[in-house]
Amino acid sequence: MAGHGGNGTDRQDEATIRRILHVDMDAFYASIEQRDNPALKGRPVAVGRGAGRGVVAAASYEARAFGVRSALPSHMALERCPELVFVPPRFEVYRAVSAQIHAIFRRHTPVIQPLALDEAYLDVTEQWQDYGSATALAESIRGEIRQQTGLTASAGVSYNRFLAKLASGQRKPDGLFVIPPSQGAAFVADLPVEKFHGVGPATTRRMHGLGIHTGADLRTWTVPELKKYFGSSARFYHDIARGMDHRPVEANRPRKSLGTETTFAHDVAEWDRLATTLNEIVSRLAAGCVQRRIAGKTVTLKLRYAGFQTVTRARSAPFPIVEEAVLRQMALELLGSFFPLDRSVRLLGLTISSLVPYAEKTPPVQLRLFEP
Amino acid sequence: MKFTVDRAPLLRALSHIQGVAEKRNTIPILANVLMNHDGEILRLTATDMEIAIVEEIPSEATRAGSVTVPAAVLFEIVRKLTDGALIEFEQESQEEPLHLRAGRYETNLNVLPVDNFPAMLAGDLPHHFSIETNGLRDLIDRTRFAMSNEETRYYLNGIYLHIVLEDKKNYLRAVATDGHRLAKIDTPAPFGVETMPGIIIPRKTVTELRKLLEGDGSSVEVSLSETRIQFRIGSILLTSKLVDGTFPEYSRVIPQNNSRILRVAKQDLAAAVGRVAAISQERSRPVKLTITRNHLTLSAVSPDQGIAQEELDENSVTYDSDDVEIGFQARYLTDITDQIDVEVEFAFANSSSPTLIRDTGQPSALYVLMPIRV
Repeated sequence: MAGHGGNGTDRQDEATIRRILHVDMDAFYASIEQRDNPALKGRPVAVGRGAGRGVVAAASYEARAFGVRSALPSHMALERCPELVFVPPRFEVYRAVSAQIHAIFRRHTPVIQPLALDEAYLDVTEQWQDYGSATALAESIRGEIRQQTGLTASAGVSYNRFLAKLASGQRKPDGLFVIPPSQGAAFVADLPVEKFHGVGPATTRRMHGLGIHTGADLRTWTVPELKKYFGSSARFYHDIARGMDHRPVEANRPRKSLGTETTFAHDVAEWDRLATTLNEIVSRLAAGCVQRRIAGKTVTLKLRYAGFQTVTRARSAPFPIVEEAVLRQMALELLGSFFPLDRSVRLLGLTISSLVPYAEKTPPVQLRLFEP
Repeated sequence: MKFTVDRAPLLRALSHIQGVAEKRNTIPILANVLMNHDGEILRLTATDMEIAIVEEIPSEATRAGSVTVPAAVLFEIVRKLTDGALIEFEQESQEEPLHLRAGRYETNLNVLPVDNFPAMLAGDLPHHFSIETNGLRDLIDRTRFAMSNEETRYYLNGIYLHIVLEDKKNYLRAVATDGHRLAKIDTPAPFGVETMPGIIIPRKTVTELRKLLEGDGSSVEVSLSETRIQFRIGSILLTSKLVDGTFPEYSRVIPQNNSRILRVAKQDLAAAVGRVAAISQERSRPVKLTITRNHLTLSAVSPDQGIAQEELDENSVTYDSDDVEIGFQARYLTDITDQIDVEVEFAFANSSSPTLIRDTGQPSALYVLMPIRV
């Protein structure tokens, strides 16, 4: 595979080079809270529950200076930053702002792949020339976001998803960074592998074990060699070490499952309390299915015991489940199958999978023998 | 006119008559029954201009004559008279109401002029045959549930009766379809039927004719032309217009190569379909059949009740093919299982193609059912 190295960039004609943006809102949830409550401006803010077993869902930049990050248990966040102000999350507001931002995206390109409420890839290969450059287009989007939401976004501009994502993190907050084709390979070479999007903690440990610490280290490996250790991901790791990533920006990428879960403030073992919580979870999940116009056949119940052991049990219906009552019945039956419990439960989760599109209120279609 | 008649034969005749008489009341006299007494026989006639029924019953008359009175009202009165009553009718003159007396009950019925009562002419009926009551009843019962009542496709609003030649033998074949399901049954062709044209008997005629086919052993005389049909059943004469249309080329929707064969006990299947569908609130009440080796699961869903399902195992199911998942309207399934005695045989192609259904005990009948996509 040595011949594949070359100068590292994807050798392509100017005309076929893609223009990919990664737009990432800065401290999205926390910034919205600070925007809507001026008393929080300039103060370390964490979105999440401060009491009991809560975790930080998002932290403002002021809080990040103290080492407060998302997913940090609340009590640890308070140890690091005693001044930290906890604000309960308002997801409906975050979703509304996210919709505003997506409306801005859609005015610039139809090819949008959302990663979360606050970040998305945009393919502007067909649109950038109207602005003179993809960078100018990205600045235009950032300006519109600031003007219409009062929030700041950072953007990465490059020729593939992998580099665009790396780029958006370079000048946060409220910044923009470009990785042009001539610099893609060099940019990756110096980067520690744990910074690569797509290389998780487990892969990082394994790479470190193999002496792979940076992009440059990774680049010395051929695909067959990588395959021995990383299986089907070998090609991806091989390519990103060279600044290459052929994955398209997948607009409307089909979702494979939809799930929601609840962590109890105190461990629970009573049927009534578990069933009540499961009912709430079912309602949320059913609403999520309706909103996304999907229905699934398989329901999976997840139970995490007090000792953190996690078990799942699944059941499939012979048809896509569109009714909340059906979902509820199946979920409660699954919960019942765990009883009697010998331990208390810390977390309950419910996922629906084997998804199919579902148009709301579509009655079953009787097929015809003769076309009318 | 003045005559007496026993309640029982009059009630029986009126139950046939009032079915034919027009109920929508657009032309008032069509809601009436014409009663004509020639001194020996009482002749009752009703028509809606599409069908006419004439029924003769024995009656004693002291004064012959004719009169028309509202069929539904007369039927209601006679129905509520005591069993075994002798009913006396008397009309003083043509314009007077008809007086009815039975025991201590009496009333007057409004009349309309006899001359205004329309006659429905049968015209020339060149084709004749005689068919056993049982045989004709079978043709109707096995097919009529599949008739359409969509006015747009009027040519499906009846039973298509025609002659087919199969294995050098002539059969009289009845077919009905509403575009979702089809029912077909053959009976050996009666003598004289070979030359008859294919005809579509309208649904109302089918319904009224069926009421006349009670009891066994006797036969029905059938006469027909391209546009009219007439049935003589004992002392009853039913004349009807035929549907003026072309029945679709039905044979092309009867699957020939459905190879996945499911056999299931009729009682168990029908009961399970009924129980499972009970929770459904869809108008179409879809029931899903999930079929694996010697195993059939029926299921239905409702927004409020959740899932209902029932499993049938090798005690009532035989199946040894690829797994099938297919949905049908519950009523369509039960309409067909109602025609089947002991064992139902399904032949599937896939979940969106016509399914063939048979009674393993009655090879002459065949049903085709289109699935519902759930």
